[in-house]
Amino acid sequence: MRNKLTSGLKAVGSAALTIFIALAIGAVLISISGENPVTAYRLMINGAFGSAHKISETLVKAVPLMIMALGTSIALKNQLWNIGGDGQFTLGAIFALAVGIYVPLPAVIVFPLSIVAAFIGGGLWAGIAGWLKTRFNANEVITTLMLNYVATYLLAYLVYGPMMDPKGFGFPQTPLLPESVRLPLFSAATRIHMGIFMALILLVLMMFFWRSTLGYKIELMGQGQQVARYAGVNAKSTMIIAMVLSGGLAGIAGWNEVYGLHHRLMTDIASGYGSLAIVIALLGNLNPIGIAVSSFFFSVLLVGGNTMQRMTEIPYSIVDVIEALVIIFVITRSMMKLDVMKNFFTRLGIGGKKHV
Amino acid sequence: MFNSLLSADSIISVLAATIRLATPILLAALGGVYAQRAGILNLGMEGTMTMGAALAFITAYHSGSLLLGVLAAIVTGVVYNLIMAWISVTMKANQVIAGTALTILGVGLAAFIYRNVFGIQSLPPQVEAFSVINIPALSKIPVIGPILFKHNILIYIAYLLVPFTWVVLEKTVFGLNIKTVGEHPRAADSKGIGVAKTRYAAMMIEGAYAGMAGAFMSLGYMNIFLDGIVGGRGFIAVAVVVFSRWHPVRAMWGALIFGFASALQLRLQAVGANIPNQFLLMLPYLLTILVLISVSKKAEFPSAYAKPYSRMER
Repeated sequence: MRNKLTSGLKAVGSAALTIFIALAIGAVLISISGENPVTAYRLMINGAFGSAHKISETLVKAVPLMIMALGTSIALKNQLWNIGGDGQFTLGAIFALAVGIYVPLPAVIVFPLSIVAAFIGGGLWAGIAGWLKTRFNANEVITTLMLNYVATYLLAYLVYGPMMDPKGFGFPQTPLLPESVRLPLFSAATRIHMGIFMALILLVLMMFFWRSTLGYKIELMGQGQQVARYAGVNAKSTMIIAMVLSGGLAGIAGWNEVYGLHHRLMTDIASGYGSLAIVIALLGNLNPIGIAVSSFFFSVLLVGGNTMQRMTEIPYSIVDVIEALVIIFVITRSMMKLDVMKNFFTRLGIGGKKHV
Repeated sequence: MFNSLLSADSIISVLAATIRLATPILLAALGGVYAQRAGILNLGMEGTMTMGAALAFITAYHSGSLLLGVLAAIVTGVVYNLIMAWISVTMKANQVIAGTALTILGVGLAAFIYRNVFGIQSLPPQVEAFSVINIPALSKIPVIGPILFKHNILIYIAYLLVPFTWVVLEKTVFGLNIKTVGEHPRAADSKGIGVAKTRYAAMMIEGAYAGMAGAFMSLGYMNIFLDGIVGGRGFIAVAVVVFSRWHPVRAMWGALIFGFASALQLRLQAVGANIPNQFLLMLPYLLTILVLISVSKKAEFPSAYAKPYSRMER
């Protein structure tokens, strides 16, 4: 127990340090562009927390990011590099909306059905990549990436074609969902909706998931297919299941955005959440609680960055730069420690020659 | 409508546009062939290209020289790719994640630098883009002339780099080293080929090509810099490299397929065709998946694809 606590604290400390360094470099860049970094970051924090409305906006953004990152973490733990979150999100959104506007049943049936449909949509999209990997050994990085584009054009086709709102004056968007199936708002003043409960439920489910047999199998797969095979894990089916679950959650993130926020589909609905989800999952150490915290952090960065851009001359792209720096530090930090060790052994004359 | 689409002029202009639109993808894909052959999957090419496009534009705008702009883009590409080389070769970190990070970084940093140089302007600053060079005699040939020989200098260079890249990879020791390092790093190491050094070199070359692809976007295809100027072409180039099975000539065909799909789509839009062109745009991506399936079964991927090499591990 104590061990778990110390390792948890270490993970938090290391994540905090990573963020601190990234923000420090961001501060240098802000100074270069002739602004005061302290003011800039204060504006950012104010933009994310300054009022009830702003806090609600931050939460509205954090919810889909967290759901999606939880999904991404399943694939990443299996050492599957699912970078198709955007496509899976899009398919989930399409399936969910289709149920909402085309199924002529009472809301009590349509609403849960839409969640299932979103999961199937996203899961199917990721499952294709998983199946192609197990069946043809097709690299999932490339297939998930390609399927992102296919999803984008599929969505464009639908909103410009068969699903276009007939009363929408030709705008590329679908009709609105009936009010009865939408996720209710907490208050009319803000955009925060009940989707936050979905995120919390999934968070708890994920914590149990990693204690389940399936979760354990996926973790074993991450330690190498050999290891998993010795333990009697069916590598192929576990891989496909991990992909389907990963994409299914991305699909639910899409459901959340459609049922809680936009209430319709338009062309740019996925807005690049896929790569953010990878960053968040990694920063959160693929741990559900870690993911919850880091999705909130990134949401602050995104929402606050927007305010900062409006109030100063600092371009919004500084947020992208900080985001990228966080990933780079996260993926190199374990190696940095390892390198220090190696140098130490090399100096002692143990271990191999250090190569360039 | 179909008459206007199928007229000789229309076909010629679509094919000429195909050549033009394939150029940035081709340049980046040729660079990607070096890196992927050496075993590095760089998903950050989109970022390298965007950085190249920004620095090319800024340099050309301030110096008044397009050539200097292209040079700046090449240098930028080389330097920028060193980051990816450091992360993936020296730090042995996961290349997929590193590439994702470098795309975000490149796109963000390019926009940041551009905004700091030019501030917010109501009209984006412009340069005089590379002009079309009509190749004497050849450009006068009917049909073929206007399709192949009425382009700007960067387009000619891009297509000349196809045989050049092939020669480097297939006929030089350096090319052999790159392939060995990607196929069997341990064997390369025992032969005295510096695995890290060769991979760094491959990454720098890729950076030069991708930087030039970026310069083409801001100085050849357009005459301005926009935030999303590369528009996913870096990722398409990665796909084209896989599609080509790591071969420069096949990479050219792959780039041309993508170029044709976008050219045809632009044309369909221009004539106001009511055909859902999204399926047309989808096609190259689906094709890439199909090619990937056939390639992967034969296990034609470089054996050390996306795997860091360490002497200490087995």
